[in-house]
Amino acid sequence: MKFKLIIATTAVALVGAVVAANTQRDAILSGYAAQAGVSGFSADAGRQLFMSQNTGGKPATPSCSTCHTSDPRNVGHTRVGKVIQPMAVSRNPERFTDPAKVEKWFGRNCRSVLGRECTPTEKGNFITYMMSL
Amino acid sequence: MSQTDTKTIPVWDIFIRVFHWTLVLGVSTAAVSGFLLRPTWISLHVWAGTSAAVLLLARLLWGIWGSKNARFAGFIKGPREVIKHLKELRAGTAARHLGHNPLGALMIVALLGTVFLLLLTGATALGGVFKTGPLGFLFSYDLGTTILRVHYVLAIILVLLVTLHILGAVFEGMRTKENLVKAMITGKKEARESDHDLPEVSSRPLWVTLVFGATLALLVWGGIWFSAKPPFGVPTGPMNPTYAEECSACHIAYAPSLLPAKNWGTLMSQLDNHFGEDASLDQKSVDEITTWLFANAADSVDTKPAHVFSRTNPTYPVAITETPFWKNTHRTIPDAVFTRAPIYDNGNCNACHKDAESGAFYPANISIPKETPQ
Ligand code: HEC
Ligand code: HEC
Ligand code: HEC
Repeated sequence: MKFKLIIATTAVALVGAVVAANTQRDAILSGYAAQAGVSGFSADAGRQLFMSQNTGGKPATPSCSTCHTSDPRNVGHTRVGKVIQPMAVSRNPERFTDPAKVEKWFGRNCRSVLGRECTPTEKGNFITYMMSL
Repeated sequence: MSQTDTKTIPVWDIFIRVFHWTLVLGVSTAAVSGFLLRPTWISLHVWAGTSAAVLLLARLLWGIWGSKNARFAGFIKGPREVIKHLKELRAGTAARHLGHNPLGALMIVALLGTVFLLLLTGATALGGVFKTGPLGFLFSYDLGTTILRVHYVLAIILVLLVTLHILGAVFEGMRTKENLVKAMITGKKEARESDHDLPEVSSRPLWVTLVFGATLALLVWGGIWFSAKPPFGVPTGPMNPTYAEECSACHIAYAPSLLPAKNWGTLMSQLDNHFGEDASLDQKSVDEITTWLFANAADSVDTKPAHVFSRTNPTYPVAITETPFWKNTHRTIPDAVFTRAPIYDNGNCNACHKDAESGAFYPANISIPKETPQ
């Protein structure tokens, strides 16, 4: 009885956390949608951005996949060898839930890889791709 | 003379023999690890030294209350006796001493004294340079490096003394037609007429054991107590949380003591082009981190890394891995080792240095990881 209660509470807590995370992620996404003036994003366009090889940015980082590997479900590593947890939301539910963190890294990584800021559409597509895996 | 009528008498008691050969082992281990092996063997070296210290303590006590041939008061002779022995040697009339002869006694004092000084300078250098051991709280890096040089010279002197000691034993063995190495194993020498012998005394093994146990307990307790004191000139405050969060995303949060304040200032003003990456931060975080780095930079820390990395490379003022010391120390490691998984980059200090984040970089904490599949 008690055991069932614990399981039930844990399950509720877990579902709660996931729901909260999903809400935060949805809020971030709708923020980008509002900025871009669009109603939805394309996971496919996100995938293209992720896989693209670029020359506009810094030579050491031609692609998002340089660090996040070509499969976002995998563990990646930085140029200095530090492990980066998977980007795919299915593997790492904490992804894209802290607006300040998301903005900080889009800022840095887009400038490093593309040599420019990412547009709100690109950001939305990228997150949508990560949610689709 | 046939075997059967050779009478032998005990000269070296069991303590002296065990002491002699374990000290040989301890000193050889210390010499090999100190002169020939990489610094990563420092633990072995320190353990060899520590064992020698314990042996030396026991020998000192046995030299006061031990058997007759072990007692310092018995075999240490003044200059007059030494000169007399030398003259007799020249004239070929020197009789055999069952224990140490006056010249041999001089060598014993020199050997034991040098080992003692080596232990003292070793512990001082360990404390000053690496901030570990019982003297880590007391000595500066500069003093440590100076004493380390003295330690090195003493080690060379000890090697010379040991060589002389062996030659002396061979010479005396030939002169008295006796295998002295064997005597140090069996403890016995052949009884002969006209031997110099010492007056009988009774040894006090129980008393020596008691004093030894008590002194050792005190030394171990003191050693542990002093080792736990905060190291000299090394700040022990916590890491600034903003630094720990923001500067550990792509690599370890490098210890602030690895670069001088001036160089941290340069690094923090160029975060948008940080080693070919954009690592920019909001101004408030930049200011907070810069202030904290300045307060804990190499200029104000007394560790070995803080001193050696203070000489930066003018062409790459913000790279630790471009400093002359870094390049020189790691020159024997092939480039391919740094780029393979799981290291990937020479900036990944903690892949090989287990204590990298603390900024200590003690050589015993180094181990290069095996290659893993990418
Ligand atoms: C040089 C290595 C590197 C490259 C190249 C790179 N990233 Fe990242 N990225 C990181 C690191 C490191 C983090 C932060 C570590 C973490 O959150 O696990 C990160 C985090 C992120 C985050 C934050 C995720 C979150 O948890 O909120 C986003 C978004 C992101 N990256 C997008 C991109 C995009 C888009 C590209 C390509 C334009 C890219 N990254 C290329 C290293 C890289
Ligand atoms: C976006 C990723 C990223 C972030 C964030 C970052 N760094 Fe770096 N850092 C790097 C890379 C890449 C290198 C180059 C390593 C190399 O090539 O050896 C580096 C190197 C360094 C080095 C030189 C190490 C060496 O190899 O000699 C120092 C010092 C350093 N970073 C300090 C900082 C500080 C301080 C911060 C926080 C303000 C910070 N880093 C944040 C990516 C980052
Ligand atoms: C591939 C493994 C590896 C990496 C990565 C590495 N080191 Fe080392 N380091 C070593 C080895 C091995 C030695 C010992 C060299 C020798 O035998 O003299 C050493 C020696 C040192 C020493 C001297 C220790 C002493 O007192 O004798 C310092 C300081 C040091 N490293 C700092 C660093 C720093 C700082 C970094 C990162 C920027 C780093 N190392 C990265 C392997 C590595």
